[in-house]
Amino acid sequence: MRNVTEQDFDEIVMKNDKPVLVDFWAPWCGPCKALAPTLDELAEEYAEEMEVVKVDIEANPALATRFGVRGIPLLMVVKDGAEQARTVGTISRSRLDAFVEANVGTAG
Amino acid sequence: MTDIAFLGDPAIKAQALVRLRSHIAAGTFVIFPAWEDGKANVIGALVEADDKQAFADQYGYPLALATTLEGIVNAFGFSPNAEAFVESLLERTPVGADLSRVVPQVLVYLLDRPDIVALTARHPEVEQCRRAIVALHQRLIAGDEPDRKEWKSARMASVAASDTITDDTLLHMASLIVEAAAWPATARSVLHDTLGACGRLESQKMMDLIGWTEADESRVFKIRDQAEADGRMAELEGLDRVLALLDHDDPELARGFRERLERFSKLGETYRTVGWKVVELVEQAPMPVSSGATTA
Repeated sequence: MRNVTEQDFDEIVMKNDKPVLVDFWAPWCGPCKALAPTLDELAEEYAEEMEVVKVDIEANPALATRFGVRGIPLLMVVKDGAEQARTVGTISRSRLDAFVEANVGTAG
Repeated sequence: MTDIAFLGDPAIKAQALVRLRSHIAAGTFVIFPAWEDGKANVIGALVEADDKQAFADQYGYPLALATTLEGIVNAFGFSPNAEAFVESLLERTPVGADLSRVVPQVLVYLLDRPDIVALTARHPEVEQCRRAIVALHQRLIAGDEPDRKEWKSARMASVAASDTITDDTLLHMASLIVEAAAWPATARSVLHDTLGACGRLESQKMMDLIGWTEADESRVFKIRDQAEADGRMAELEGLDRVLALLDHDDPELARGFRERLERFSKLGETYRTVGWKVVELVEQAPMPVSSGATTA
């Protein structure tokens, strides 16, 4: 799972051929830390359908401002260079799977 | 990741117990943090890092169990209960036992709990999903491996069924337990999420019992936030300040909040019960015929 920054966000996320799930997080955020292993699993499961990337909002505040991030963890699906959907807060693996399924497509 | 207890090596079990007991003796066994400044919780004490994957790899416990263990141990509160639980878990885990069926067994145990079945029985689709997911876990226990499409189909049906429930909070919470369990035991978060959903049902039942509502909770936060802004009772700190503010502004709300604190401090029965269920299941886990392990 790649870490993206203000410098490479557009290249990696907005111009990606595949849908991208962006995880906005911060080092001090416990729920973000708890979600990380689930996202690792998700990235592996959906490797063919989408890319999963992380944005540290402490290190990249301009991205938090640009996307109006008011709470974390925030997961955002970007498809064809535009935001498709977002979900904020702790989320179960099943709900996360349904969120991706609805906004990205099936992993079988 | 083998799911073979202590990788079949009695020396690994002995090392785990030595590490745990040294932290207990030094008074450095804690609930939080996992591993920092010499203090360690159940994960940190055994692997000397905040690393659940390492815990699973080094000691052979299923990753889904390692991922849930902190929550279970925390439900025992501060030492000595938490210490005694972890020590029992390690002592009663037979070296070389095949632990791969423990997680699906715990999930079936949770999904078949009478209080949960009584709730899911109110909604035919949710009950059907519960039965389907129990059946998938039972196939795992029997040595079969349902494919990912079967799991996904059961999961999506379960999420869809949950989303139809808008007027029955307890039933909705039970349906969230069912959908959380719709993963094979190899998914690291399946037990964590399912047990978490059970814990939230336990909390909701407690709130219903004492008549404490979300609106009451919001009112407490509003009074506290207002005091933060205007500096009232700044000479007090933390909970003392919140209670003093409530006593002054809304004595009835203060009474309810005290009862809520008292009741919630005793929550965690679901986690503790599951903890002992895990101990019982690992103790009874089968020994692989070819392991050649020596019990300790």
